[in-house]
Amino acid sequence: MKNYVMGVDFGSTTTKTVILDLKGKMVAACVASKGSISAEGVQVSMDGALAEAGISRKEILRAVSTGYGRRMIDIADQSYTEITCHARGAVALFPHARLVIDIGGQDSKVIAVGGDGLVSQFAMNDRCAAGTGKFLEALARAVQVPLEEMGPMALAATEKLTISNMCATFAETEVISLLAEGQSKPSVLGAVHAAIASRTVGLVARVGMREPAVMTGGVAKNKAAVRFIEQALGAKLLLPPDPQIAGALGAALFALDEVTSPGAGIDEEDQADDAMLIARGCATKPCQKPKEVPLVGPMH
Amino acid sequence: MNAIAQPLKKANRLKTSSLNNKMVNDYWTDVFNAKAEGKLVCWYEGVAINPLMQAADIRWVHGEAWSALLAARNNEQEAQTAAEHRGYMKELCSYARTHIGCGVLAQNRGVEASGSSFSDALGAGKLGERIPAPDMFISAYPYCSTGQQWDEMLFRLFGKKVPIFNISVPWVWGNKPDAIYLGGAEFNEAKQYMVKQLRACTKFIEEQTGKKYNWDSLVEIMSYTKTAGRLRMEAMELCNAKPAPASFFDWTTSLAPVNFIPGGPGIVEYFEKTKVEIVQRIADDEGGIPQEKYRLFWDGIMNWNKIGWLANKFANYDANMVAGRYTHMGFWHEHESIDLNDPLEGMAVNYLVCPINLSAPLMIEQIIKLCKHYEIDGMVLHAARTCRAFSNPQYLIADAVQKRLGLPVAMIEGDMVDESFYKDELVNSRIEAMLESIEARKRVGIAA
Repeated sequence: MKNYVMGVDFGSTTTKTVILDLKGKMVAACVASKGSISAEGVQVSMDGALAEAGISRKEILRAVSTGYGRRMIDIADQSYTEITCHARGAVALFPHARLVIDIGGQDSKVIAVGGDGLVSQFAMNDRCAAGTGKFLEALARAVQVPLEEMGPMALAATEKLTISNMCATFAETEVISLLAEGQSKPSVLGAVHAAIASRTVGLVARVGMREPAVMTGGVAKNKAAVRFIEQALGAKLLLPPDPQIAGALGAALFALDEVTSPGAGIDEEDQADDAMLIARGCATKPCQKPKEVPLVGPMH
Repeated sequence: MNAIAQPLKKANRLKTSSLNNKMVNDYWTDVFNAKAEGKLVCWYEGVAINPLMQAADIRWVHGEAWSALLAARNNEQEAQTAAEHRGYMKELCSYARTHIGCGVLAQNRGVEASGSSFSDALGAGKLGERIPAPDMFISAYPYCSTGQQWDEMLFRLFGKKVPIFNISVPWVWGNKPDAIYLGGAEFNEAKQYMVKQLRACTKFIEEQTGKKYNWDSLVEIMSYTKTAGRLRMEAMELCNAKPAPASFFDWTTSLAPVNFIPGGPGIVEYFEKTKVEIVQRIADDEGGIPQEKYRLFWDGIMNWNKIGWLANKFANYDANMVAGRYTHMGFWHEHESIDLNDPLEGMAVNYLVCPINLSAPLMIEQIIKLCKHYEIDGMVLHAARTCRAFSNPQYLIADAVQKRLGLPVAMIEGDMVDESFYKDELVNSRIEAMLESIEARKRVGIAA
């Protein structure tokens, strides 16, 4: 019996899977580090979610994929871009959201959402990964601080320094120079996070600031990044319990739409109402905490 | 939209545009034969001043057209590399870099045109190297600072020995109280300034040829150009039909006859046939793509390396790129301003209002009119990496169409003739996101 839908966000650095039941309740979410073999990362993420839900693949009625690797996922019946899926997921979590700021592994995007929940405008970073997760990873290596400690350390910055380069690689060179000059790691990391905020504000300016704004993507888990962006925007950001799964959640909701739409053959009167309720009121029914399943091997 | 494996669709290109290839090949064959036939060769860039040369029986090499041809025939690498080795970095206008590279190759070759025909040069992959060297430069470049220095760079490359004539094209600010499109005191002053320079240019040409300037020939050439311009605009305007019978990619392919191809019966015949095909397609309900679900506008210049590929890409998205700034706001589009009793003023008008020479407010008004005429659903803004001139107003254009028309937009990066600046997946995700947005609006009944 197929009683579930799945959304898979096959991103540049991680794969996220969300499983919903046909009432729209999230029953599993899994984030897998992709490692060096993309197909394995996708499998680990999907298997992790299926295991958490306690179901097999055969019980998935419909699957929608998103992310750069969206066309590579054979289980997917449909695919949509991350812009569409992140907007959908963010609005499901925060129905009044009017702006979505998503900073992922290699790209960042700002999405303006209309009152009807539809994408009205969007802007994405140009080909450089400055200001994204990759940027932070590269600089974590440069300052020799574990990635997860960068945020807290940046919040302890005592001096206001500037990373001037727009290029992620040249920024790394600049960080090394600052450290060699004797600048403290917290202050250097403060500058790194200010650079992220600066890039983000540029993208927001292209779309136009509106509130409330939601931040999604892995970088939203970095408290310093959030703080610096809030300061730069002059506005508080709404943060989902797990910001990485917004795209996968949006994809799963699209899958749910497709099986609960008229003619889909499901008892929609009971399930569609609940699905809408869940989709819109997810804040009142907190998502289950996703399990991170790292691959054995280097991050990437 | 479903991007999972589907049979690939192809653009339904206009049949008549295949005639363009012969015209282009014949034209370049004549250029390659110029020296052997005792003809002078002028290198120039920017606006279509070639009627001035044609009237004096001078052969001409338009830098952008030549670079685009090299890119389209995959012959651009050698010239671009030569220019880079000379010191012209990749971020420089790729048209200029390619053309200047041809100049470098000519210098390295050290001999005048060896008598190699166009077809031989093409077959040998040596187009860049064997283009006939210039006997003169005429520079008439609007707005773009690179363009304005391009001929100067070539002048120095050829040892400052080849005569050069500069025409300064004023930018159309349009910010005086009486300023309107094609009108107002400032525009009229700019027009007269251009006429004065064009007239002076004919004196320069007389000095180079040693012959009196043939004004009757110029009038005859401009009569064909005016007619061709009119027919092209009429054919394009008919594409407000649904489905649109042709696309921006068809019109881009058809630019040569209103750009550098000699003015004569051939260009009129070309657009007569084009218009006939358009009318027939409308009668047959035949579109420029197999299935038209979305109607788009292309802002920005063309990726010449990828024109066919892009046409098929959008056909596959069921998106008809119906119109664009590059094709619809340039290339003798203001044909009505040409007075055959004194064509210089009409020529000046067309040069002044080329797609990069208008201030953003004036430009945006023209773009809004086009979007309304063609009932556009969304806009793709192609920011060519090495063409700042075309890209400069794009944020303003995007903002205006979003606010005034409610159009979703997608901004993509590429380049005119350097395909290393083009990244397919980055383009795909942006285009698809825009089309998903259009689709969602259609479903809930939100029209642009």
